[in-house]
Amino acid sequence: MGSSSGFGSGHDYSFKILIIGDSGVGKSSLLVSFISNHVDDLTPTIGVDFKIKHLTVGGKKLKLTIWDTAGQEKFRTLTSSYFRNAQGIILVYDVTQRETFTNLFEVWAKEVELYSTNQDCIKMLVANKVDKESERVVTKEEGIAFAKEYGCVFLECSAKTRANVEKCFNELAHKILEVPSLLEEGSTVVKNTILKQKQERQASAGGGCCS
Amino acid sequence: MKALRRSNTSSSSRASSSSQPLSWIHLRSLLIIASSTVPDRGNVKSPWSQRKRQRSALSRRYWNSLFAANGRLRDGGIKFLKKARNRGIDPSIRSDVWPFLLGVYDLNSSEVERNAVKVRKRIEYEKLRIRCRKISNYSNQENSLVTLDNIYSEAWLDLIEDPYSPKISEYGTSAFSLSLWSGNEDRPVYDRSPDGNSNLGGEDDHSVITHLDVFLAGTDSSDSDHSVEILRTGESYPKLTNSASLKVDNSNRTIEDFRTWQRIVRLDAIRADPEWVIYSPTQAGISEVAAKRYAKAVGLKDFDHLEPCMIYHASRLVAALEAYAIYDPEIGYCQGMSDLLSPILTVIEDDCEAFWCFVGFMKKARHNFRLDELGIRRQLAIVSRIIRSKDAHLYQHLEQLQAEDCFFVYRLVLVLFRRELTFEQTVCLWEVMWADQAAIRAGIGRSAWGRMRLQAPPTDDLLLYAIAAFVLQRRKLIIERYSSMDEIMKECNSVAGKLDVWRLLDDAHDLVVTLHDKIQLPLEIS
Repeated sequence: MGSSSGFGSGHDYSFKILIIGDSGVGKSSLLVSFISNHVDDLTPTIGVDFKIKHLTVGGKKLKLTIWDTAGQEKFRTLTSSYFRNAQGIILVYDVTQRETFTNLFEVWAKEVELYSTNQDCIKMLVANKVDKESERVVTKEEGIAFAKEYGCVFLECSAKTRANVEKCFNELAHKILEVPSLLEEGSTVVKNTILKQKQERQASAGGGCCS
Repeated sequence: MKALRRSNTSSSSRASSSSQPLSWIHLRSLLIIASSTVPDRGNVKSPWSQRKRQRSALSRRYWNSLFAANGRLRDGGIKFLKKARNRGIDPSIRSDVWPFLLGVYDLNSSEVERNAVKVRKRIEYEKLRIRCRKISNYSNQENSLVTLDNIYSEAWLDLIEDPYSPKISEYGTSAFSLSLWSGNEDRPVYDRSPDGNSNLGGEDDHSVITHLDVFLAGTDSSDSDHSVEILRTGESYPKLTNSASLKVDNSNRTIEDFRTWQRIVRLDAIRADPEWVIYSPTQAGISEVAAKRYAKAVGLKDFDHLEPCMIYHASRLVAALEAYAIYDPEIGYCQGMSDLLSPILTVIEDDCEAFWCFVGFMKKARHNFRLDELGIRRQLAIVSRIIRSKDAHLYQHLEQLQAEDCFFVYRLVLVLFRRELTFEQTVCLWEVMWADQAAIRAGIGRSAWGRMRLQAPPTDDLLLYAIAAFVLQRRKLIIERYSSMDEIMKECNSVAGKLDVWRLLDDAHDLVVTLHDKIQLPLEIS
């Protein structure tokens, strides 16, 4: 459960990254694979959880707070409040399950549009489970086409073999560092993020669920 | 945190002797009170205090001694519930005891009555499974927007050999629906009339009752008395009302919904926590052939990487969770429910019995899984209220961090500490909680607890007091070191294996004693 680093370490920027996508696409596995260099079988995520990773990218010390969310609709009111002030959003699908890909159009892209608060926020599309090549039903071209349409960075990876896992987060961090407005957000105190996030959650409390 | 790392609770190591003379227990309680170093207990010692924990759990011998010759619990279950609540239950008799704790059997039932319930429940469960298969087959070939109601009707019509068939068509389709339950009731109520009265009727409305029951619960002629029995024993179904009085209609639950639940159930089943394995050697030792046969029967896939015992467990999860989704379509399946079911499957090896125990568990827990999140918000609001009443300083700090809504304990509430406690600890906590709830269900009030009258009365919300106690145990850390809700959430999500369940209960007891009259439960969270 523990993150690789504790709170309060020195860093130049602190960014909030959110991982979303259908249940079972491997969001938690992707995160654990990145944080702890190994992959265990993981139980389903309940609500939200987060881990912290310290990275040095382009000479800058970064603190990434990476939020892992539950994929099921039931948790969407809860998870939607975590979009606020995210500098990076990772949309994950499973290349062996077409439904998880089509739900990107039908559910997740809409969620991002509705709840993301920074227009410049970097979106990354991750096609997971490419180690199961024989079971693949979503082609790389389809992934690329989606990424192009929605302005996402695209990467195919495998949380299981760790292929492209580090690259995924590194590239996301690189992209964030290139955007002045995100840099500005990242250098402000994390507390503000929390406060705003909180307000958003309270605001959404009476709103019922979104579909 | 080190202080919390006490040894894990293990009731298996407790002696299984029968109870000690009450007078001695009472004397010892007084001695403990006198020598207590815990401040501010108001001279009320909890049954879960450190010294008392060493007493034996409910043993088989004691359990057996509680029954009269006709198999009825002699005192309506008071002694049983007290013992279970205070000391837990010996692991060897859990599978016998849980159906009583979870309301599958009435505490006043005789053995004959229980046998009848058993037979009926078995038929009912089988029917739910048949419906699951039917819907699975249907969804493979037909329009997935067909409502579950339609399918129920079809399945029902297919199966039925009902003596009252002339009236079937009146009730077989959408005339009656599973309605959203109104939210401020403690458990689903089995209504059979438009105005919600569920008292037993005479012969006049027999056909109506029967058909409603058949519609929901079962379909063959052996069930003709079924409805009456269900009503009499207070068995609960998701609220059933005439369409005329529907506020929210669940009949729009479609095959598509079921398919979604089914997909997620299967995903979750094959990634269940394997911790249960050491607690059920017989299930752990299942052969590969048998496990795969079971997997095939429930249509489980993608299990090649699993050990036979995990394939078997996953298959059992699928069977029960799918049946539950059909049984309670307002909730269907929500992630977290498999966490609640898994320990029950471990303890109770019979699928049908385990299913009905799960249904009993879900009577209260189902609120957590409502799509509108009202249930979980209500519970979080109670935790918040307890903290505010007990510790203004901590509450103020939470307010400053805008964390006073206690969303940081979301997971604790949703899966009742399952992710934070070991298997054995979880089961101990749940048993105590169930005993409290069973006492309330049975109308066993404060006076009936006799010697315990000075102690905390049973509460439906013991879990919430335990969660508040959990937060209060961390007050210093939270106030002095944490400056954001994230940090508190991190702490809450990182305590797996570090908790002492009896200390939690002991602290929760303290809160119940001092606050239970003050915590007005908000029925509506706006």
